[in-house]
Amino acid sequence: MHARAMDDYAAVIAMLNHTWFGAELAPETQERLAKLGNIQDFEVDEVILHEGNDTRAMGVLVSGRLALRTLVPERGPVTILSVEPGDIFGWSAVLTDAQAQSTVVATEASRALVIDGVRLRAALKEDHALAASLYPQILNAVARRLRATRLQLLDLFAR
Amino acid sequence: MASTGKAVRPRVAVAKFASCDGCQLTLLDLEDQLLEIVTRFDVVEFPEATSRRSPGPYDVVLVEGSISAPEHLDQIQALRKQARVLVTIGACATAGGIQALRNWADHDAYRAAIYDHPEWVESLAKATAVSDHVRVDAELRGCPIDGGQLLELMTAVLVGRRPQIREEAVCRECKRKGIVCMVVASGDACMGPLTTSGCNALCPTYGRGCYGCFGPRTGANAKSWSAGLMQSGRAPEEVWRLFAGFTGYAEPFRSVLTELGKSKG
Amino acid sequence: MITNPVPGPTAVARQWFLARSDLDALIQALRKAGRTVIGPTVRDGAIVNDEIQSAADLPAGIRDEQAAGRYRLAERSDDRVFGYTVGPTPWKRFTFPPNLPIATAHLSGGFGFEQPHITAPQLAFLGVRACEIAALGMQDRVFLGSPFTDEDFRARRKAALIVAVQCTTCSSTCFCSSMGTGPEVRNGYDILLTEIDEGFVVQAGSPAGAAIVAHLPTRRPTHAETGAAVDSVEAVRTQIGEPLPIAGIDRRLQHQLDNPRWGIVAERCVECGNCTMACPTCFCTSVTERSDMEGRTATTERQWDSCFDVNFAKVAGGDFRARPRDRYRQWLMHKFSTWMDQFGSFGCVGCGRCITWCPVRIDVREELQVIAPVIQPVERPVAVEPVAASPGDFSIARLASVRQETEDTTTLSLTDMDPAFLAGRPGQFVMVALPAFPAVPISISRFHSNGIDLTIRAVGATSTALVNLHPGAKVGVRGPLGTFWPIEDAFGRHAVVVAGGVGLSPLHGLVEALVANRDRFESVSLYYGSRTPEDQLFRDDLATWSAGKAIDVAVTVDRAGPEWKGRVGVVTTLFDMMSCDCSRITAFVVGPERMMQASVQSLISKGVPPERIHVSMERHMECGIGLCGHCQTGRYFVCKDGPVFSLSELGDLYVREGI
Repeated sequence: MHARAMDDYAAVIAMLNHTWFGAELAPETQERLAKLGNIQDFEVDEVILHEGNDTRAMGVLVSGRLALRTLVPERGPVTILSVEPGDIFGWSAVLTDAQAQSTVVATEASRALVIDGVRLRAALKEDHALAASLYPQILNAVARRLRATRLQLLDLFAR
Repeated sequence: MASTGKAVRPRVAVAKFASCDGCQLTLLDLEDQLLEIVTRFDVVEFPEATSRRSPGPYDVVLVEGSISAPEHLDQIQALRKQARVLVTIGACATAGGIQALRNWADHDAYRAAIYDHPEWVESLAKATAVSDHVRVDAELRGCPIDGGQLLELMTAVLVGRRPQIREEAVCRECKRKGIVCMVVASGDACMGPLTTSGCNALCPTYGRGCYGCFGPRTGANAKSWSAGLMQSGRAPEEVWRLFAGFTGYAEPFRSVLTELGKSKG
Repeated sequence: MITNPVPGPTAVARQWFLARSDLDALIQALRKAGRTVIGPTVRDGAIVNDEIQSAADLPAGIRDEQAAGRYRLAERSDDRVFGYTVGPTPWKRFTFPPNLPIATAHLSGGFGFEQPHITAPQLAFLGVRACEIAALGMQDRVFLGSPFTDEDFRARRKAALIVAVQCTTCSSTCFCSSMGTGPEVRNGYDILLTEIDEGFVVQAGSPAGAAIVAHLPTRRPTHAETGAAVDSVEAVRTQIGEPLPIAGIDRRLQHQLDNPRWGIVAERCVECGNCTMACPTCFCTSVTERSDMEGRTATTERQWDSCFDVNFAKVAGGDFRARPRDRYRQWLMHKFSTWMDQFGSFGCVGCGRCITWCPVRIDVREELQVIAPVIQPVERPVAVEPVAASPGDFSIARLASVRQETEDTTTLSLTDMDPAFLAGRPGQFVMVALPAFPAVPISISRFHSNGIDLTIRAVGATSTALVNLHPGAKVGVRGPLGTFWPIEDAFGRHAVVVAGGVGLSPLHGLVEALVANRDRFESVSLYYGSRTPEDQLFRDDLATWSAGKAIDVAVTVDRAGPEWKGRVGVVTTLFDMMSCDCSRITAFVVGPERMMQASVQSLISKGVPPERIHVSMERHMECGIGLCGHCQTGRYFVCKDGPVFSLSELGDLYVREGI
């Protein structure tokens, strides 16, 4: 992992504005996230989060691709979803004591804005305006994933 | 209620505000039933028929006329307190009447133009329906009211049922009577589709379009009708005059007139 | 008088000729028989039906001009007495009076209800037209066709003698020909008159009619006269034409309960109810009670009412048809749809009175055609005349090569075949047969210079046998069949191909065609989803297309092992990549039913116009040419009218369970 402290918040906000997740947020929320988090680069095959471990951070993928993998006995690791630019990962970091439900691996060289879970939760608790702006968009991202998961459950290509 | 007709005679009062008394006269015009009416009702107040005065309370008050002068404001409140059942009769009482046309005009200028001493004439800037001021239990529409409907009302009071007064378009009565629609066959102006029935299509029977004196019926599509009149080549002024009759201040006629007034500038 | 239908127009009934100057003899004969004659007469600028004393009361030399909301009288150039169409008075006025006392109740002399004694006047209706005879018949079914009857109607109907008149002219509002009620009078009359230049050709339709005719100063008509009578009615039929396409309208309306047009027409409608009053079949009534002042005797009077009345569907708790649009819909649907369920016919005879007498000029024919338009059958040019176009006939092709695409899917390359197959178009299919195996429909996945490719998933007996064939084997083929992808619908637009699983097979040829004509499209994209990376078809082609610049290719799988570096997720997630103006997309979609449904919903929600979304339907096909009936989906034979449809063609049929 290659983390860079970015003082240039304007550049981070510009990146956020290129993601569907970030573009919808209020300017104050974008600025707050830019200050709370940092831009990190991930190499191919780098594991960002291990299944079962505590979710320590939430990220907004700026470029590249991440795979969410689950270990299935006798089948080994199965990719159940890929995270594409604009989407988030580790969203359960907004919950206390949350554990990762899947392993997050970079399948391409990727860049993301990563926000520490403890700092994020504290900020959400004390800044209601931030919470009011961020939570609906997190819920939106989770709902998208839920819809896609339902379609997968239907096994559209079943024979 | 009154099976013997003698035991308890309902006390009836007739009251008037700004009006021509024509509706009260409709009661007197019920010549065949008049005797029976005064036998079964105790008509204690009826300025058009008798100078006898009797204080309330009354079982039934028939109110004619619009609220048009400052003293009317208190009088109608006092009357309501004395009335078990308050029935408004006629276009003035139910819609403001012809005098409500001043509601669109400069009241003071009119008064100054007509009276030598306008300061002696006290009147309100707007003539309004009784129901704008007090609760009304029933209303009889028209200018003047229909004798048959009045009789039905009186009968219903005696029998103790709700009066069966239908609220349908004048067109229905026209069609049932077999009158040829003059809008379609002659291109005449008529307010029948919007107007409440009850007159038995009196004007169309005599070859005139309906003047709308019974006022708009519930849900009258005045917007479509006024638009259609103009589409068929009538000037806004002409449409204004059609709606601005006896019941022009009743909604939705009032809105049409206000709209037309705006477009006239 | 309720007459039994005369044997029909073919059995030539006896005919007479009555001179116009002798018409009064008919009226006087009817009067002499004790009947009051009701007939057309001019009053207040219209031809109404009212009591007439003599032929002088009839509107001789008068015609009418009718249009929506307009009725005017004008002079004729001749002295015909029936040279106009229906006026404002429906005959129901005399069989079903607008006001009728139906009961008396009393308290004095005992509590009771009494029905009035029914007395029907002996009437003769003069000048009843074909549509009006049909209307009387409709009210017969309403009032007399169930165990509960209207005896007053029965008596009046029985007491009326019908002198019908053939229409020899029509109005712009007439549409009896559409409703099947006219213009010819065929039955239901006692006497029938057809007006010709010099007088009338007269027929009797009942003994009562014949008895009257016997008293008239008639003579035998000449051939010229009877011929003129037939011709004049036939001319009216031609003149009316077919103003309202009626077939199936009762069913079509039932799917249009939520059509926005109901609201639009209700904004014009003033709910005067004139349409229902003028209508010769409308039968709704209300009762009013009238009592004396003591309430000891009361009469109940029945009056014509109208479903447009604001109180018509009211109960104590509220109104079931509170909005004007609800009431308009009730009326129109009753006439053209639910009447059929109740009484076995339409409730409209096409007399046009509701159009003429509508003061805001609403024309039901126009409303019906907007609300429930006739669905035009799909007419697409045939790409090429198919070879072996009867179910048992197959042309022979040779299997050139076999290529395994996935574990269960194989591509067969056919050659040495009829050149017609090579002229087929992407989206079309062929029926493939082997001796002893039933023919199966297989879409053409590629066109070569000397043959075609069929990509087949081994799921049944025939497909399994086909994929196990070796090069050189012979197969029977019939085709090319069905509709094809309308590639020109994407000219100048963003062409988006959405494929799921083996659905790429019928789209493969389309993608090749899009690539070959790349200049004609703003952009070309292929979104392909499959279950796993191993289930992808045409992997070499996908790689080639991805490498080139001509089209954007995005693939996704539902699940994958760690070696897969691509997207994982359902195919609809790929649509997030669409950054163009979605209203300018033309989409072509094939995949499993559920996948197509999800894709189509997603495309529509992004603003792709339904008429620009083309899908290929998979259905059970045995013949492939619209004869066996298996593939029927609603009004379509999928094999013949499809398999390629636009979403707007499918409408309600798309993703509807159990169709």
